Amino acid sequence: MSQFRTFIIALVASFGLPWLCLIVVPAIKYQSLSQVAYDKDRDGLEGLYPPAPINRQGQLIYAREGCVQCHTQMIRPTQLALDGWRKGWGQDQEARPTVPTRSNTLRDYLGEPFAFLGVQRNGPDLTNYGWRAPDRNLIHQMLYAPKSLHDWSNMPSFAHLYTERLAQGQTSIKALKLSKKFAVKEGYEVIPTEEAEALVDYLLSLKKDYPVPGESAAVAAAPAAAAK
Amino acid sequence: MQTSTASPDTQADNLRRAAIDKSVKGPVLFLFLNGAFWLMASTILGVLAAIKQFAPDFLGACSVLQYGRLQPTHINALVYGWGVQVGLGVMLWIMARRSGQELRTGKSVLYVAAVFWNIAVTLGLVAILVGKSTSMQWLEMPAFVWPVLLVSFLAFAWPMVFMFGRAFRPEGFMVSTWYILGACFWFPWIFITANVALHCLPGLGALGAGINAWYVHTVILLFFAPVAIGAAYYFIPKVTGQPIASSQLSQIGFWLLAILGGWTGMQHYMGGPLPAWMPALGAAAGVLLLIPVGVVGLNHHLTTLGKHNLVASSPTLRFVFFGALFYPVSGAILALISNFSTGATLQFTQAWYGFQIVAVYGFFSMTVFGAIYYIVPRLTGCEWLSVRLIRNHFWFSVYGIGTIVVTSLVAGAQQGGDLNSPEMWDQDFMQLALNLRPYIIARAIAWALITWSNVWFLIHLMLMVAGLGRRSSAPTLLEHDHEEVLPQAAHA
Ligand code: HEC
Repeated sequence: MSQFRTFIIALVASFGLPWLCLIVVPAIKYQSLSQVAYDKDRDGLEGLYPPAPINRQGQLIYAREGCVQCHTQMIRPTQLALDGWRKGWGQDQEARPTVPTRSNTLRDYLGEPFAFLGVQRNGPDLTNYGWRAPDRNLIHQMLYAPKSLHDWSNMPSFAHLYTERLAQGQTSIKALKLSKKFAVKEGYEVIPTEEAEALVDYLLSLKKDYPVPGESAAVAAAPAAAAK
Repeated sequence: MQTSTASPDTQADNLRRAAIDKSVKGPVLFLFLNGAFWLMASTILGVLAAIKQFAPDFLGACSVLQYGRLQPTHINALVYGWGVQVGLGVMLWIMARRSGQELRTGKSVLYVAAVFWNIAVTLGLVAILVGKSTSMQWLEMPAFVWPVLLVSFLAFAWPMVFMFGRAFRPEGFMVSTWYILGACFWFPWIFITANVALHCLPGLGALGAGINAWYVHTVILLFFAPVAIGAAYYFIPKVTGQPIASSQLSQIGFWLLAILGGWTGMQHYMGGPLPAWMPALGAAAGVLLLIPVGVVGLNHHLTTLGKHNLVASSPTLRFVFFGALFYPVSGAILALISNFSTGATLQFTQAWYGFQIVAVYGFFSMTVFGAIYYIVPRLTGCEWLSVRLIRNHFWFSVYGIGTIVVTSLVAGAQQGGDLNSPEMWDQDFMQLALNLRPYIIARAIAWALITWSNVWFLIHLMLMVAGLGRRSSAPTLLEHDHEEVLPQAAHA
């Protein structure tokens, strides 16, 4: 029986160590992670980092529709990949930014119950989508009928987040402006549901490249932030 | 030793074996049958998901069938409906046989647990489809499911631990039961950790994503791998009639897996928000795992040496041999996606899917098929009906899985190359989407082949469970001229 006990103890020890180091201790430490303040002299910025939380209601829709299967939310550093140099993937929308978009830190996802870093990258990375997003109506149109913007798109249509209703008098300002091919019947209009609005709010709140306090790259990017 | 040839007390041995088989028969067959059903469901979902990935309008814009919901349902059906479920069945049978213990009490508890397992999986998968997915990998089913799964699992693990404890002998080849006990013990630990961390704690942000990746890797390495290796260690000597080549190698393989397995996972998000040491450790462990994988592969190879004709004739050995062959392949793919150079290219591509499928289907499921071909005739008292069905099952599975593995890896390299191509820095995703398409089409076809093989597997299994198998004392072999080569024990 003592052999049996040794065997069990060895099993517990061999798995317990990584369990403690990778899961338990980091999880406890994470609880004390909080926003930090910018230093006006050093960073040239005021306020807290990260500034604004994401829209949780919309994130739930994002989760439930499985957007993670095709979209990532994580910019990798230049040593590993060219994510940071891709046009529009950061705050700087210039064609050739002077510094690449920075990779992400734990704090960037502060306040999110679970960070949807993603499974596959079949569509563009959405980490900093908020900066490059077109106006709301166009995002709605893309979610309702992705093929109306890119005929090659293999993003599914999320038409079930929209309602089709009889247009009363003048068409609502919220109604999607769809091209002929994707339009609904004459006299009807497509209106986003609350869920669709929340999802778009969430997409617009995706800005995870605010300068990190005390990092030199942050100072270089700061003027652009001030200009916005 | 298991494989000793006929001796005076063979008769008594046979009677004892029959008693053990009888004691676990009901629950084991129940798990196998339900598992086979879920496997078929999962493969059909696999075809649909692949089609939906390149043709999102296929079957209309119905919300339930969208890629983002189908894909997780497909994987969860494969993992919980099929994988863990049949895993439990195989574990229970091998543990009972190997430790020479009957299942004494609590059979009805096992039935209840198995029924609840299936109810929970059904509800969980339907919930994903109707829009309750959590979008955490392998944990997409809503939170109410996991306590049920956990309790059901423990109901099965408990008697196994008892059997093991009663029969524990440090000397002799007990390595298959070591692996199985390990699986009984690791899975609940991993499962509780991940679920508590992700569902009960106040929210771990990006660390949660890391824990999620850890969960997927550890379930593969510390549940699916041990069950399959344990089964291979049991069936290869049993069918070939040769003892395991080296007990030292098997112990090294076991302990290295136990030590390294728990460190993997976080490298899935290399270059991400996790503190750099976490993915670094994961990457190191992922590559170092090549050692235990190689050791076990070598040991299996040495054990089958000179008995390759049996691979052609015995369905069990053929599947187990192929599955065991895929252990090193899975290990190699893990090393490819884990290290920081090729891993960074293959990150966020089809290669990740390829790894999950090669581990869960190519390695684990193929081994388990072999086990099922061995176990079921002993439980039902009749032999498999048709050689052709078994052969079909084998070849369609092999071609299907081969196609998926190869195309996923090549597709991953293609996708990773495109994502990282300096020429594409200001392009939209058109070229990527177009380049990916042929691979996804191949994936759909491969799943269709596998579905075809599994429909027949399910029917064959149903006939066996219904007691409609062949009444004969000779096992169904794939090539009859080799029959007399089979050692006595293979008929037991
Ligand atoms: C089957 C894979 C897939 C799924 C699932 C998916 N997308 Fe996409 N998505 C794409 C592809 C491919 C593109 C690029 C083509 C395009 O613009 O239509 C894209 C583009 C986008 C864009 C535009 C990005 C940019 O840089 O302009 C946004 C925003 C977006 N998706 C949001 C979502 C949301 C929100 C969901 C979930 C409700 C989702 N996607 C689900 C594949 C997918």
